[in-house]
Amino acid sequence: MTSTDEFRARARAWLEQNAKPFDEAADYDLEGTAVPLEESKRFQKALWEAGFAGITWPEEYGGQGLGPAELIAFSEEAADFELPTGPFTIGLGMPGPTILELGTEEQKKRYLPPLLKGEEIWCQLFSEPSAGSDVASLQTTATRTETGWIINGQKVWTSGAQHSDYGAIIARTDPSVPKHSGITMFIVDMSHPGVTVRPLVVATGHAPFNEVFFDDVEVSDDAVIGRVGEGWAAAVVMLRHERVTIGTGTRARSNPLGFDSLLELARARGLNDDPAVRRRLALLYARESALGAYGRVLHEESMAGVPIGARGSAAKLAGAEQALWAADLAQDLLGADLALGGADLERVVMAVVAAPGNAVAGGTNEIQRNIIGERVLGLAKDPGVDRNTPYNKLKLSR
Amino acid sequence: MSLIFTDDQKSLAQTVKRFVADRSPMPRVREVIGGEHAYDAEVWSRLAGDLGLAGLIIPEEYGGAGATHADLSAALRELGAGLVPSPLLACVLTAGALLALDDEPAKHDLLPRLAEGGLVGALAVSEPGERHWIPGTPATTATGSGDAVTLSGTKIAVLNGAEAGVLLVQATGPGGAALYLVEGDAAGLTVSRDAGVDPTRSTATVTFDGTPARPLAGDAAAALDRVADLANLAIAAEQSGAMLACLTMTTEYAKVRYTFGQPIGAYQGVKHKLADMYNRWALSDAALREATRAADEEPAKLGAAAAAARALTSSGYLTSAKETMLLHGGIGFTWEHDAHFYYKNAIAGNVLAGDGDYQLDRLADKLGV
Ligand SMILES: Cc1cc2nc3c(=O)[nH]c(=O)nc-3n(C[C@H](O)[C@H](O)[C@H](O)COP(=O)(O)OP(=O)(O)OC[C@H]3O[C@@H](n4cnc5c(N)ncnc54)[C@H](O)[C@@H]3O)c2cc1C
Repeated sequence: MTSTDEFRARARAWLEQNAKPFDEAADYDLEGTAVPLEESKRFQKALWEAGFAGITWPEEYGGQGLGPAELIAFSEEAADFELPTGPFTIGLGMPGPTILELGTEEQKKRYLPPLLKGEEIWCQLFSEPSAGSDVASLQTTATRTETGWIINGQKVWTSGAQHSDYGAIIARTDPSVPKHSGITMFIVDMSHPGVTVRPLVVATGHAPFNEVFFDDVEVSDDAVIGRVGEGWAAAVVMLRHERVTIGTGTRARSNPLGFDSLLELARARGLNDDPAVRRRLALLYARESALGAYGRVLHEESMAGVPIGARGSAAKLAGAEQALWAADLAQDLLGADLALGGADLERVVMAVVAAPGNAVAGGTNEIQRNIIGERVLGLAKDPGVDRNTPYNKLKLSR
Repeated sequence: MSLIFTDDQKSLAQTVKRFVADRSPMPRVREVIGGEHAYDAEVWSRLAGDLGLAGLIIPEEYGGAGATHADLSAALRELGAGLVPSPLLACVLTAGALLALDDEPAKHDLLPRLAEGGLVGALAVSEPGERHWIPGTPATTATGSGDAVTLSGTKIAVLNGAEAGVLLVQATGPGGAALYLVEGDAAGLTVSRDAGVDPTRSTATVTFDGTPARPLAGDAAAALDRVADLANLAIAAEQSGAMLACLTMTTEYAKVRYTFGQPIGAYQGVKHKLADMYNRWALSDAALREATRAADEEPAKLGAAAAAARALTSSGYLTSAKETMLLHGGIGFTWEHDAHFYYKNAIAGNVLAGDGDYQLDRLADKLGV
């Protein structure tokens, strides 16, 4: 047995002892609230104690200091279980890696271990009502004080803000320079009295994200991630991690639009002998396994020191297209029953309704195609009429 | 375990790429295509001999290099990218069939010659009017016994049938479907080269009329199943390389071709198509890596992984080759431009050794759908 095989066996044994096996019949937990938050925190802590949190993160910040082989082995084993770790996905996938890359030694020591141990939950405060795709045109301000900064403004579509202890926020610190130059990223304490979080209901009827208002919220100088005025570069780093996280998430059996689930659905409806259905299921599998393999290629390359660059966008786009493609197949398998609904179909119907969200969250498909074209293939940038204009002279949808 | 190339694979790919640029650049490919022969014998002897590609996945005991499928795929990507006409695919499939059979005398006789590239082998399985490229019960028959077996029937789409020194022929004998060995100069053998759409690939229609043949010992069905996997791997590797060549060519053009005061790549109508082309390639290539990994480390998963990779590369390459023509505008439709050679290669490659539906049916079977 190689050390990876041993790690895998240890992970499997631990999961069998401590995690709930995936249950087809269970309620589909879109909001991530079926499990009480305390339970999620307890589970994440146990995961860390057993050595399965922060698998590739350095040991000095609470990680395991292992390689992609172990990370992949764990994800593959975990695919058969329902892990209540949803509230930590953002922290571990976006602000965490960004702090690891750009944070000060103090920030890394302060924030990374509690994140891994499930003690603190994070959110990403980027989008605003009139700055989503064009997030660099954001209007939230951070104004200098003697000892730090005061933040005012509004964020929107902030996933998980309702549970969060901290947020990574980008705000305008200098409106007199072009939009990309005058932004700074901060760590903001969500328990500050000037922070108001209001739930926003989405198409599925659930409220996974929020509006977040900032009224004179003070942060100190050591809350800056990266450097003052270089928040755009920090945001790009975080967005890259986000796209890799979203795009390379391994195939979970619990995905109602995954191959395993749709094969079950086809069988239950007696359609799995239809030649056209068989071919579409086969293609679903081919696409899904290619997506998984691409994620592994990116992980392995990054661990081998080959820069991933903007290729997380390719994975992110492919994942969103896969969800939409699989939703089409699910609709055809369900026929009229999709419209009629029914308790036994709730999981898959909700997943079909939720599928378009994948093509918007984390940057829309059009934005990913722009990024692939410009930053992976090196094509000419959009002329960007606003690139060199001072922010306070720009035309914006305000 | 890894899906990324080892240093050896990178250096092999580099060597083959340089060789293609030096010895078989597109102008030379055009000359070969316009000539009488299916491929440049000199190029083939160097590919097979100097670069050792013909014997790459043949074990050392039979005179090969005993290398991995990932190694072979690294080389095939480069040959596919350059549309290099060669009998490598046919030889890989012939060797693969022999290796999966239990005929030691045939293995010891043929594999060393295939490994050094001196002998071209071809696999004759498909038949007229049969949609499956490997028929369950071939109409071609084998009669007689012992040394006196003869074949009668017709085989189509025989890759490099016209250039082959030996053919492995699937035929129905007294005990059911089996594989038979036929010498290229056997009596009663008629080979006529097809005028196929893809001039970089040579296929032939082969008829047997009381043609002397030698039965090959071993499980023919299992050997042909193995051949189907190998064909999927090898064709997917060529197509992944060709898809990347199309992407690179079109990306470069989108940077230098100007309209309305901007390079065409600045327009989203072009940029987004190129982004999709990138994704098709990246995902297909990842599927190919997973398939070669399975071939080398987890043979139980090879069948599904190879069919999955092939289903994605074949359809993806066809779309990308088409887009390559479209995004080049008028020049992309001219004979002078290389785009049409890729398009034709993609059209033929999409149906070679089993079309898209065949691959998806095969994949569904392997997955137990
Ligand atoms: C489920 C979900 C979770 C989210 N979670 C978070 C979160 O936690 N934190 C956070 O900060 N944000 C979050 N978001 C917000 C998300 O990042 C934005 O919604 C997204 O970036 C799109 O911005 P927008 O909504 O302003 O759309 P717009 O930017 O207004 O786009 C509208 C349409 O125009 C197209 N478009 C815009 N610009 C271009 C262009 N240059 N070229 C071509 N087409 C273009 C878009 O593709 C889209 O189709 C979440 C969104 C969703 C759906």
